[in-house]
Amino acid sequence: MNLRFWQRAKQEKELDDEIQSHLRMAAQERIEAGRNRRDAEADARRELGNEGLIRDATREVWGLGWIERLVQDLRYGFRVLWKSPVYALVSVFTLALGIGASTAIFSVVYGVLLRSLPFQKPEQIVRLWEVDAKGNRMQFADPNFEDMRAQAHSLQAAAELSSWEQSVEANNEPDRVRVAYVSKDFFSVMAVQTVVGRLFVPEEQHFGAAPAALVSYSYWQRHLQAATDLGAAKLTVSKHPATIVGVLSPGFHFPDDSQIWLARETDAQLPSRSAHNWQVVARLRDGTSLQQARAEVSALAHHIYQQYGPHDINMVDAAILPLREALTTDVKPALLVLFAVASLLLLVACANVMNLSLAQASARAPELAIRSALGASRWRLIRQFLAEALLLCILGGAVGVLAAQFGVRALLAMAPSNIPRLDEISINLPVLLFALALSVVVAGGLGTFTAVRSTTGDVQIALAEGGRGQGNARQSQRTGRTIVAAQVAVTLTLLVGAGLLARSMLRVLSIYPGFQTAGILTLDLKLPGLEANDTQQRVHFLEQLITRLQAIPGVRDVGGTSVLPLSSAFFPDGTFLVLNAQQLSPAERELIDRSAHVSWDKADPALLKDLTDFFTRLFSDRAHTGYADYVVASEGYFRCLGIPLLRGRLFNESDATEALHVAVISESVARQKWPDQDPLGQTIEFGNMDGDVRLLTIVGIVGDIRANTLESLPRPTIYVNYRQRPRATHEFGVMIRTGSDPAVIFPAARRILAELDPSIPPRFNTFDQVFSASLNGRRFNLVLVGTFALAALLLAMAGIFGVLAYSVARRTREIGVRMALGASVRNVLKLILEQAMLTTIFGIGIGLIASFILTRSMRSLLFEVSATDPVTLLGVALLLTMVALIAAYVPARRATRVDPMVALRYE
Amino acid sequence: MPDSPQYQNRIELLQGTLDLLILQTLLWGPKHGYGISQAIRLNSGELLRVDTGSLYPALHRLEKQKWIASEWKVSENKQRVKVYRLTATGKKQLSAERSRWSQLSQAIAGILNPAARKSEA
Repeated sequence: MNLRFWQRAKQEKELDDEIQSHLRMAAQERIEAGRNRRDAEADARRELGNEGLIRDATREVWGLGWIERLVQDLRYGFRVLWKSPVYALVSVFTLALGIGASTAIFSVVYGVLLRSLPFQKPEQIVRLWEVDAKGNRMQFADPNFEDMRAQAHSLQAAAELSSWEQSVEANNEPDRVRVAYVSKDFFSVMAVQTVVGRLFVPEEQHFGAAPAALVSYSYWQRHLQAATDLGAAKLTVSKHPATIVGVLSPGFHFPDDSQIWLARETDAQLPSRSAHNWQVVARLRDGTSLQQARAEVSALAHHIYQQYGPHDINMVDAAILPLREALTTDVKPALLVLFAVASLLLLVACANVMNLSLAQASARAPELAIRSALGASRWRLIRQFLAEALLLCILGGAVGVLAAQFGVRALLAMAPSNIPRLDEISINLPVLLFALALSVVVAGGLGTFTAVRSTTGDVQIALAEGGRGQGNARQSQRTGRTIVAAQVAVTLTLLVGAGLLARSMLRVLSIYPGFQTAGILTLDLKLPGLEANDTQQRVHFLEQLITRLQAIPGVRDVGGTSVLPLSSAFFPDGTFLVLNAQQLSPAERELIDRSAHVSWDKADPALLKDLTDFFTRLFSDRAHTGYADYVVASEGYFRCLGIPLLRGRLFNESDATEALHVAVISESVARQKWPDQDPLGQTIEFGNMDGDVRLLTIVGIVGDIRANTLESLPRPTIYVNYRQRPRATHEFGVMIRTGSDPAVIFPAARRILAELDPSIPPRFNTFDQVFSASLNGRRFNLVLVGTFALAALLLAMAGIFGVLAYSVARRTREIGVRMALGASVRNVLKLILEQAMLTTIFGIGIGLIASFILTRSMRSLLFEVSATDPVTLLGVALLLTMVALIAAYVPARRATRVDPMVALRYE
Repeated sequence: MPDSPQYQNRIELLQGTLDLLILQTLLWGPKHGYGISQAIRLNSGELLRVDTGSLYPALHRLEKQKWIASEWKVSENKQRVKVYRLTATGKKQLSAERSRWSQLSQAIAGILNPAARKSEA
């Protein structure tokens, strides 16, 4: 285009020269004929005619006219807007609201759902799962992974990984950091390199090797001062020293914001094919499609099941998804609903602007009529409206994008942590292009609509009426009312959505989770894994911690647990066995005893195999197996949380390490396994959770609690005493029930912990905060949809008000006539309000039908509320009717104040 | 040249006809715009005065169609003038236009003088 413009300037100059030379020659001819110079030049110019017209006509020939015309239209449009600043400002801000909201939500949708992952060839990276006979997806067991990796030709590399938070010390500074354990092909799957140092070498990737670690770039900068001598840095992961061998490229934190990576091979492989401990990612071979890989892994999974089943293997099939989908599939429905809601708000905003434009255009009817009479084609006039609409929308879009910047910042602050890829959300180029495209589309629709509506109708009538425009009044009023009805319908749908979410929230809040939440402080610790000989140390540490916390003045109860309610995403659930001690052979009893004195991660593979074989046999008998969560708790836990004891007893001091191991079960376990018997006194084995297969005797039954989320049903739980089973305590939470101010208790607790073990950084919270945080996701949806619905309501109210006020102003004469003929104030009110109510009711009707159809897609966001909940629908319909009445009140009053004498003369 | 009279007998020229006249004028050698308008006036016996408002757009239109080509030259008076000349395609177009014109004038003549036709029949 630049070239054309440069050429254009040259052409203009040449035309100028040509015309000048023509004038010169014409003048010269006249001078030679004897006239004086001035007359000659004047005459020559007169003969030439209208220079401007010549230029215009020539430009038409050149054909670049459309840009000139567009610029001309835009300039004219700007003048029109300048003359009606109120209309311009209101329209721009209304459009800014609609476009800004849509842009903000789109930036989230783009960053999370659409943008490709920040890895090399990200479409090749996939996530795999085992699938059981019921179709549930599960993590992989070691042997299944090894077989899959060796035999799947469609995958060029596959890796196991698992990550969780641990207490890590870097140069003696403790912190809580997410550590990932990855198998040897992980870095080829993710195609990531080191910027300092190197990746793992095979010597570091086998059982028993000294731990080597890779750190993230940001961790290296923040905690290691970006020191280039990696060997000098001292890194301790859960009290195990590790040598740092490399720093990964900036921005790499996979999985789940990990900062440190260790080689998985330094720990033993579990030979069980049903120990689902690992996430698996893989990279597709170049040229292989996802379908081909899917077919292959599915067939392989089935083949493995045939080979090794049916005992000790749950995998009958395998599932494979692109990594981006796997990460975002949970939040996709919510985000799409939010995007739909933002679009609906945009429609409501556009409806308001449409009505404003129509009103504005009808005021310009005489001007349009004159232009039409002078020869402007309909297309020419439509072009003018399009240019004005474009101006409004570009301005509105610009303001909207600015507002969206703040909106996105607020969104990110409020966003629940389960939304992945939050750091990839920003107002970047694709989002700006979206905003621009949206503005242009809205401008097109708006301009065309206004133009077509304003340029219909007879030119003669418009000219004759001057400004009164009664001839087209009825039609334009009907259009206005239709638009308002549509607005009301859309607003109703939005309000119903918000109402359903609000009811769901209320229902969730009304649930009693099975335990008390008031006045409880929480302390969350990440402790190192235990060796067999360290168990006494751990018991001692926990005992000391609990006792000393109890001694703080103001503290009523202290309870410890390996699973802090409503906080953990990770659940230690597994299968337990109901075993009768008398049924075991002496060899089996000896095996059980041996297992008690060995640590699971450094176990002798032969012992592991013996144990696995032993249990595989038993697990195949379904009548004697059950499924529950395995929770390590202290005596005070139940009292602290107010969990009721239903039968038997809780833990007490008599449950020492060497005494008979005891367990307390929750109601649902009792119902599940012992519906007709007394569970007290029965023995079970639950060793696959911490490797200790000694039998547990059930001594008590407690009430169920909702420990996972408020919305999910209580999980069957088996509690064991921390004194007897301290191994599964690498995550330990302590709850402190107190009536005092937390600000007094926290420092005392911090001091106690620092004295006991300074290398473990604690995290303190109040349970109220934990409770509130568990509702973050639901709250996020409710706040967003609610805000949009409220905005739509206000816009609809303004819309109803505007259309009615305009209609009353237009019909002043008619009202005056009616009143002069004897209509009372009530009659006039009835007339105006009837119109308003009819429009509103019509809109509500359409809205209800639309809600019926659309809220179905929200079902996954609701809780115990039907998508067509009649209470909500009715409530919203009533609300809208009331709002419409309020909006109609002022114009209706104004109508009644019309003085017939004045009105009859009103022009 | 005598003064132009106040009342001009200006015959409105259809756009297509103006093109024909311009092409024909250039057949006799390259000219600048002013020269073309003079030539048409002279050769029509002062009956046709080309409206300059139509002349220049027509010239640029013909140039766009590549029937004429232009270049800037220096005239005898040391002034810059833009001179147009007929191109090869322009010559072909000219003969096409001429034949169309004669067809048209025959048709009109046939309607205006039906007696002559009758006498031919």
